[in-house]
Amino acid sequence: MAGPIRVRALLEKLELQRESVLVIKGDTLVTDDSLLEDGADVEVRPVISGGSGA
Amino acid sequence: MKCRRCREPAVIELRRHNAAFCRPCFLHHCTEQVRRAIDEHDMIRAGERVLVAVSGGKDSLALWDLLLDLGYDADGLYLGLGIGGYSDRSAVAAREFAAGRGARLVEIDIPGEFGFGIPDGAAAARRVPCSACGLSKRHLFNRAALDGGYDVVATGHNLDDEAAVLLGNVLRWATDYLGRQAPVLEEGGGFARKVKPLCRLGEREMAAYCVLRGIDYIVEECPMAEGNKHLGYKAALNAVEETSPGTKAAFYSGFLDRGLPHFRAEVAEEKAGLGRCASCGAPTSGETCAFCRLVDLATRPAR
Repeated sequence: MAGPIRVRALLEKLELQRESVLVIKGDTLVTDDSLLEDGADVEVRPVISGGSGA
Repeated sequence: MKCRRCREPAVIELRRHNAAFCRPCFLHHCTEQVRRAIDEHDMIRAGERVLVAVSGGKDSLALWDLLLDLGYDADGLYLGLGIGGYSDRSAVAAREFAAGRGARLVEIDIPGEFGFGIPDGAAAARRVPCSACGLSKRHLFNRAALDGGYDVVATGHNLDDEAAVLLGNVLRWATDYLGRQAPVLEEGGGFARKVKPLCRLGEREMAAYCVLRGIDYIVEECPMAEGNKHLGYKAALNAVEETSPGTKAAFYSGFLDRGLPHFRAEVAEEKAGLGRCASCGAPTSGETCAFCRLVDLATRPAR
Protein backbone atom coordinates (compact mmCIF):
# COMPACT_ATOMS: atom_id res chain seq x y z
CA MET A 1 0.00 0.00 0.00
CA ALA A 2 1.37 3.41 -0.91
CA GLY A 3 2.43 5.83 1.81
CA PRO A 4 2.64 8.11 3.56
CA ILE A 5 -0.47 7.00 5.43
CA ARG A 6 -1.68 7.29 9.02
CA VAL A 7 -2.15 4.02 10.93
CA ARG A 8 -5.83 4.74 11.44
CA ALA A 9 -6.36 5.25 7.70
CA LEU A 10 -4.38 2.09 6.95
CA LEU A 11 -6.64 0.03 9.22
CA GLU A 12 -9.74 1.59 7.66
CA LYS A 13 -8.48 0.68 4.20
CA LEU A 14 -7.84 -2.86 5.37
CA GLU A 15 -11.34 -2.88 6.96
CA LEU A 16 -9.91 -3.91 10.31
CA GLN A 17 -11.36 -3.05 13.72
CA ARG A 18 -8.83 -1.08 15.76
CA GLU A 19 -9.53 -3.26 18.81
CA SER A 20 -8.63 -6.39 16.90
CA VAL A 21 -5.05 -5.63 15.81
CA LEU A 22 -1.71 -4.15 16.82
CA VAL A 23 0.53 -2.34 14.39
CA ILE A 24 4.16 -3.27 15.04
CA LYS A 25 7.17 -1.45 13.66
CA GLY A 26 10.51 -3.04 14.55
CA ASP A 27 10.35 -4.02 18.23
CA THR A 28 7.75 -1.45 19.21
CA LEU A 29 4.18 -0.41 18.54
CA VAL A 30 2.77 2.56 16.72
CA THR A 31 -0.31 4.55 17.66
CA ASP A 32 -3.36 5.35 15.54
CA ASP A 33 -2.12 8.80 14.58
CA SER A 34 1.41 7.71 13.51
CA LEU A 35 2.38 8.50 9.96
CA LEU A 36 3.85 5.56 8.05
CA GLU A 37 6.27 6.59 5.30
CA ASP A 38 6.11 5.04 1.86
CA GLY A 39 8.03 1.74 2.06
CA ALA A 40 7.75 1.49 5.86
CA ASP A 41 7.89 -2.11 7.05
CA VAL A 42 5.10 -2.78 9.55
CA GLU A 43 3.30 -5.85 10.82
CA VAL A 44 -0.46 -5.72 11.39
CA ARG A 45 -0.93 -8.47 13.97
CA PRO A 46 -4.34 -9.86 14.92
CA VAL A 47 -4.88 -10.06 18.66
CA ILE A 48 -8.20 -11.89 18.89
CA SER A 49 -8.13 -15.49 20.01
CA GLY A 50 -11.02 -17.86 20.45
CA GLY A 51 -11.26 -21.33 21.86
CA SER A 52 -11.74 -22.52 25.39
CA GLY A 53 -9.18 -20.30 27.13
CA ALA A 54 -6.01 -21.45 28.85
CA MET B 1 0.29 11.17 20.65
CA LYS B 2 1.77 11.69 24.13
CA CYS B 3 1.83 9.40 27.13
CA ARG B 4 -0.83 10.38 29.67
CA ARG B 5 1.53 9.84 32.62
CA CYS B 6 4.87 11.25 31.50
CA ARG B 7 4.19 13.15 28.22
CA GLU B 8 6.83 11.13 26.33
CA PRO B 9 5.82 9.82 22.86
CA ALA B 10 3.18 7.09 23.24
CA VAL B 11 3.38 3.59 21.71
CA ILE B 12 -0.22 2.55 22.36
CA GLU B 13 -3.56 4.27 22.72
CA LEU B 14 -6.29 2.78 24.89
CA ARG B 15 -9.53 4.32 23.73
CA ARG B 16 -11.44 2.69 26.58
CA HIS B 17 -9.39 4.77 29.04
CA ASN B 18 -9.21 7.78 26.73
CA ALA B 19 -5.45 7.52 27.21
CA ALA B 20 -2.17 6.68 25.52
CA PHE B 21 1.01 5.36 27.13
CA CYS B 22 4.73 5.08 26.41
CA ARG B 23 6.35 1.67 26.91
CA PRO B 24 7.31 1.97 30.62
CA CYS B 25 4.01 3.59 31.59
CA PHE B 26 2.01 0.98 29.66
CA LEU B 27 3.83 -1.87 31.43
CA HIS B 28 3.15 -0.07 34.73
CA HIS B 29 -0.53 0.22 33.73
CA CYS B 30 -0.75 -3.56 33.11
CA THR B 31 0.94 -4.38 36.41
CA GLU B 32 -1.37 -2.04 38.31
CA GLN B 33 -4.49 -3.46 36.66
CA VAL B 34 -3.47 -6.98 37.68
CA ARG B 35 -2.55 -5.87 41.20
CA ARG B 36 -5.91 -4.12 41.48
CA ALA B 37 -7.87 -7.15 40.24
CA ILE B 38 -6.07 -9.42 42.70
CA ASP B 39 -6.67 -7.05 45.64
CA GLU B 40 -10.24 -6.12 44.71
CA HIS B 41 -11.36 -9.73 44.46
CA ASP B 42 -9.02 -11.20 47.10
CA MET B 43 -7.66 -13.62 44.48
CA ILE B 44 -4.31 -14.63 45.96
CA ARG B 45 -3.39 -14.41 49.64
CA ALA B 46 0.04 -14.05 51.23
CA GLY B 47 2.20 -17.15 50.98
CA GLU B 48 -0.10 -19.02 48.61
CA ARG B 49 1.22 -21.16 45.75
CA VAL B 50 -0.17 -20.38 42.31
CA LEU B 51 -0.46 -22.68 39.31
CA VAL B 52 -0.76 -20.67 36.09
CA ALA B 53 -2.58 -22.38 33.21
CA VAL B 54 -0.15 -21.80 30.34
CA SER B 55 -1.05 -22.32 26.68
CA GLY B 56 1.92 -20.59 25.05
CA GLY B 57 -0.41 -17.77 23.92
CA LYS B 58 -0.19 -14.08 24.79
CA ASP B 59 -2.59 -14.05 27.72
CA SER B 60 -1.19 -16.91 29.74
CA LEU B 61 2.46 -15.95 29.19
CA ALA B 62 1.74 -12.30 30.04
CA LEU B 63 -0.14 -13.41 33.15
CA TRP B 64 2.71 -15.63 34.30
CA ASP B 65 5.21 -12.83 33.66
CA LEU B 66 3.12 -10.31 35.61
CA LEU B 67 2.56 -12.65 38.57
CA LEU B 68 6.29 -13.42 38.79
CA ASP B 69 7.09 -9.70 38.66
CA LEU B 70 4.56 -9.05 41.42
CA GLY B 71 6.48 -11.57 43.55
CA TYR B 72 4.03 -14.47 43.55
CA ASP B 73 5.19 -18.07 43.89
CA ALA B 74 3.84 -19.08 40.47
CA ASP B 75 4.57 -22.25 38.51
CA GLY B 76 3.14 -22.93 35.04
CA LEU B 77 1.12 -25.90 33.82
CA TYR B 78 1.10 -26.69 30.12
CA LEU B 79 -1.33 -29.25 28.67
CA GLY B 80 -0.38 -31.01 25.44
CA LEU B 81 -3.69 -31.16 23.57
CA GLY B 82 -2.60 -33.29 20.63
CA ILE B 83 -3.47 -30.66 18.01
CA GLY B 84 -0.59 -31.46 15.65
CA GLY B 85 2.00 -28.80 14.86
CA TYR B 86 0.01 -26.15 16.73
CA SER B 87 0.49 -28.04 20.00
CA ASP B 88 4.18 -28.57 19.24
CA ARG B 89 4.75 -24.87 18.61
CA SER B 90 2.76 -23.71 21.63
CA ALA B 91 4.73 -26.11 23.87
CA VAL B 92 7.98 -24.57 22.60
CA ALA B 93 6.70 -21.05 23.42
CA ALA B 94 5.76 -22.14 26.95
CA ARG B 95 9.08 -23.92 27.54
CA GLU B 96 11.17 -21.07 26.19
CA PHE B 97 9.35 -18.55 28.36
CA ALA B 98 9.83 -20.73 31.46
CA ALA B 99 13.52 -21.23 30.70
CA GLY B 100 14.03 -17.50 30.09
CA ARG B 101 12.39 -16.55 33.39
CA GLY B 102 13.89 -19.46 35.35
CA ALA B 103 10.36 -20.55 36.25
CA ARG B 104 9.02 -24.09 36.74
CA LEU B 105 6.78 -25.51 34.02
CA VAL B 106 4.78 -28.66 34.72
CA GLU B 107 3.62 -30.51 31.60
CA ILE B 108 0.80 -32.99 31.05
CA ASP B 109 0.50 -34.56 27.62
CA ILE B 110 -3.10 -35.66 27.04
CA PRO B 111 -2.33 -38.08 24.16
CA GLY B 112 0.59 -39.57 26.12
CA GLU B 113 -1.30 -39.92 29.41
CA PHE B 114 -4.85 -40.59 28.28
CA GLY B 115 -4.46 -42.01 24.80
CA PHE B 116 -6.29 -39.43 22.68
CA GLY B 117 -5.89 -35.94 21.25
CA ILE B 118 -8.56 -33.23 21.55
CA PRO B 119 -9.68 -33.41 17.86
CA ASP B 120 -10.30 -37.18 18.03
CA GLY B 121 -11.74 -36.99 21.53
CA ALA B 122 -14.19 -34.30 20.48
CA ALA B 123 -15.29 -36.34 17.46
CA ALA B 124 -15.76 -39.49 19.54
CA ALA B 125 -17.79 -37.62 22.16
CA ARG B 126 -19.72 -35.66 19.51
CA ARG B 127 -18.70 -32.40 21.08
CA VAL B 128 -17.29 -29.32 19.38
CA PRO B 129 -13.50 -29.27 19.86
CA CYS B 130 -13.53 -26.16 22.11
CA SER B 131 -16.00 -27.87 24.44
CA ALA B 132 -13.90 -31.05 24.76
CA CYS B 133 -10.80 -28.90 25.19
CA GLY B 134 -12.38 -26.67 27.84
CA LEU B 135 -13.67 -29.51 29.95
CA SER B 136 -10.30 -31.30 29.76
CA LYS B 137 -8.48 -28.15 30.82
CA ARG B 138 -10.82 -27.46 33.75
CA HIS B 139 -10.51 -31.03 34.98
CA LEU B 140 -6.75 -31.41 34.56
CA PHE B 141 -5.83 -27.96 35.90
CA ASN B 142 -7.91 -28.59 38.99
CA ARG B 143 -6.48 -32.06 39.53
CA ALA B 144 -2.90 -30.87 39.02
CA ALA B 145 -3.44 -28.03 41.50
CA LEU B 146 -4.86 -30.32 44.18
CA ASP B 147 -2.24 -33.04 43.62
CA GLY B 148 0.62 -30.52 43.53
CA GLY B 149 -0.40 -28.66 46.69
CA TYR B 150 -1.24 -25.40 44.92
CA ASP B 151 -3.78 -23.05 46.50
CA VAL B 152 -4.86 -21.26 43.35
CA VAL B 153 -5.23 -21.92 39.62
CA ALA B 154 -4.77 -18.69 37.64
CA THR B 155 -6.04 -18.52 34.07
CA GLY B 156 -5.36 -15.91 31.39
CA HIS B 157 -8.97 -14.99 30.67
CA ASN B 158 -8.96 -11.30 29.78
CA LEU B 159 -11.67 -8.66 29.68
CA ASP B 160 -12.58 -9.50 26.06
CA ASP B 161 -12.91 -13.21 26.89
CA GLU B 162 -15.12 -12.45 29.87
CA ALA B 163 -17.29 -9.94 27.99
CA ALA B 164 -17.71 -12.38 25.06
CA VAL B 165 -18.68 -15.26 27.36
CA LEU B 166 -21.05 -12.95 29.21
CA LEU B 167 -22.71 -11.90 25.96
CA GLY B 168 -23.15 -15.55 24.97
CA ASN B 169 -24.59 -16.44 28.37
CA VAL B 170 -26.97 -13.47 28.35
CA LEU B 171 -28.16 -14.20 24.82
CA ARG B 172 -29.17 -17.68 25.97
CA TRP B 173 -30.06 -16.61 29.55
CA ALA B 174 -27.84 -19.44 30.79
CA THR B 175 -28.41 -18.62 34.46
CA ASP B 176 -26.22 -21.47 35.74
CA TYR B 177 -23.25 -20.23 33.69
CA LEU B 178 -23.97 -16.62 34.64
CA GLY B 179 -23.73 -17.58 38.31
CA ARG B 180 -20.30 -19.09 37.75
CA GLN B 181 -18.90 -16.20 35.71
CA ALA B 182 -16.96 -14.57 38.51
CA PRO B 183 -13.30 -13.48 38.56
CA VAL B 184 -12.83 -15.77 41.56
CA LEU B 185 -14.35 -19.20 42.14
CA GLU B 186 -13.65 -20.14 45.73
CA GLU B 187 -12.02 -23.42 46.74
CA GLY B 188 -13.91 -26.25 48.44
CA GLY B 189 -15.74 -29.47 47.66
CA GLY B 190 -12.89 -30.86 45.56
CA PHE B 191 -12.09 -27.63 43.71
CA ALA B 192 -9.00 -25.46 43.99
CA ARG B 193 -9.63 -21.70 43.96
CA LYS B 194 -9.75 -20.40 40.38
CA VAL B 195 -8.86 -16.80 39.56
CA LYS B 196 -8.72 -14.53 36.51
CA PRO B 197 -6.25 -11.73 37.26
CA LEU B 198 -6.41 -10.31 33.69
CA CYS B 199 -10.12 -9.49 33.93
CA ARG B 200 -9.38 -5.74 33.90
CA LEU B 201 -7.16 -5.90 30.78
CA GLY B 202 -8.24 -6.27 27.16
CA GLU B 203 -6.96 -8.72 24.60
CA ARG B 204 -5.13 -6.01 22.66
CA GLU B 205 -3.41 -4.89 25.85
CA MET B 206 -2.11 -8.40 26.49
CA ALA B 207 -0.70 -8.74 22.98
CA ALA B 208 0.89 -5.30 23.34
CA TYR B 209 2.35 -6.28 26.72
CA CYS B 210 4.03 -9.34 25.15
CA VAL B 211 5.43 -7.35 22.21
CA LEU B 212 6.80 -4.63 24.50
CA ARG B 213 8.24 -7.15 26.98
CA GLY B 214 9.78 -9.23 24.17
CA ILE B 215 7.71 -12.31 25.09
CA ASP B 216 7.67 -14.70 22.15
CA TYR B 217 4.14 -16.10 22.26
CA ILE B 218 2.37 -18.29 19.70
CA VAL B 219 0.59 -15.79 17.44
CA GLU B 220 -1.33 -18.28 15.29
CA GLU B 221 -4.88 -19.12 16.31
CA CYS B 222 -5.76 -22.66 17.38
CA PRO B 223 -6.95 -24.38 14.17
CA MET B 224 -9.86 -25.91 16.11
CA ALA B 225 -11.25 -22.49 17.12
CA GLU B 226 -11.97 -21.21 13.62
CA GLY B 227 -15.55 -20.01 13.23
CA ASN B 228 -16.57 -20.69 16.82
CA LYS B 229 -19.30 -18.68 18.56
CA HIS B 230 -16.87 -17.04 20.96
CA LEU B 231 -15.05 -15.32 18.08
CA GLY B 232 -18.38 -14.09 16.70
CA TYR B 233 -19.30 -12.54 20.07
CA LYS B 234 -15.91 -10.83 20.24
CA ALA B 235 -16.34 -9.35 16.75
CA ALA B 236 -19.82 -8.09 17.69
CA LEU B 237 -18.53 -6.45 20.87
CA ASN B 238 -15.58 -4.90 19.05
CA ALA B 239 -17.96 -3.42 16.48
CA VAL B 240 -19.79 -1.69 19.34
CA GLU B 241 -16.48 -0.70 20.95
CA GLU B 242 -15.39 0.98 17.71
CA THR B 243 -18.05 3.67 18.10
CA SER B 244 -18.51 3.52 21.90
CA PRO B 245 -15.16 2.86 23.58
CA GLY B 246 -15.56 1.47 27.09
CA THR B 247 -18.78 -0.44 26.39
CA LYS B 248 -17.16 -3.86 26.90
CA ALA B 249 -15.66 -2.90 30.25
CA ALA B 250 -18.95 -1.32 31.40
CA PHE B 251 -20.88 -4.43 30.31
CA TYR B 252 -18.60 -6.75 32.30
CA SER B 253 -18.08 -4.59 35.39
CA GLY B 254 -21.79 -3.77 35.50
CA PHE B 255 -22.54 -7.49 35.47
CA LEU B 256 -20.13 -8.14 38.36
CA ASP B 257 -21.67 -5.34 40.43
CA ARG B 258 -25.34 -5.64 39.59
CA GLY B 259 -25.98 -8.91 37.75
CA LEU B 260 -23.85 -11.67 39.24
CA PRO B 261 -25.30 -11.51 42.79
CA HIS B 262 -28.71 -12.52 41.37
CA PHE B 263 -27.38 -15.75 39.89
CA ARG B 264 -25.03 -16.97 42.62
CA ALA B 265 -27.56 -18.79 44.79
CA GLU B 266 -28.39 -21.28 42.04
CA VAL B 267 -24.71 -22.15 41.68
CA ALA B 268 -24.11 -22.53 45.43
CA GLU B 269 -27.02 -24.96 45.56
CA GLU B 270 -25.65 -26.90 42.59
CA LYS B 271 -22.16 -27.11 44.11
CA ALA B 272 -23.52 -28.38 47.43
CA GLY B 273 -25.31 -31.18 45.61
CA LEU B 274 -22.24 -32.53 43.79
CA GLY B 275 -21.05 -36.07 44.36
CA ARG B 276 -17.73 -37.68 43.43
CA CYS B 277 -16.76 -39.37 40.19
CA ALA B 278 -16.74 -43.16 40.63
CA SER B 279 -13.66 -43.37 38.45
CA CYS B 280 -11.37 -40.48 39.50
CA GLY B 281 -12.99 -38.87 42.56
CA ALA B 282 -13.50 -35.44 40.94
CA PRO B 283 -16.66 -33.48 41.84
CA THR B 284 -19.51 -34.30 39.49
CA SER B 285 -23.28 -34.23 39.24
CA GLY B 286 -23.31 -37.66 37.56
CA GLU B 287 -21.86 -41.06 38.40
CA THR B 288 -18.68 -40.34 36.44
CA CYS B 289 -17.29 -36.91 35.61
CA ALA B 290 -17.38 -35.36 32.13
CA PHE B 291 -13.63 -35.87 31.65
CA CYS B 292 -13.74 -39.59 32.50
CA ARG B 293 -16.69 -39.98 30.12
CA LEU B 294 -14.68 -38.20 27.42
CA VAL B 295 -11.66 -40.48 28.00
CA ASP B 296 -13.91 -43.52 27.86
CA LEU B 297 -15.53 -42.49 24.57
CA ALA B 298 -12.26 -41.37 23.01
CA THR B 299 -10.35 -44.55 23.82
CA ARG B 300 -13.14 -47.09 23.27
CA PRO B 301 -12.03 -49.59 20.58
CA ALA B 302 -13.82 -49.05 17.25
CA ARG B 303 -16.47 -51.68 16.54
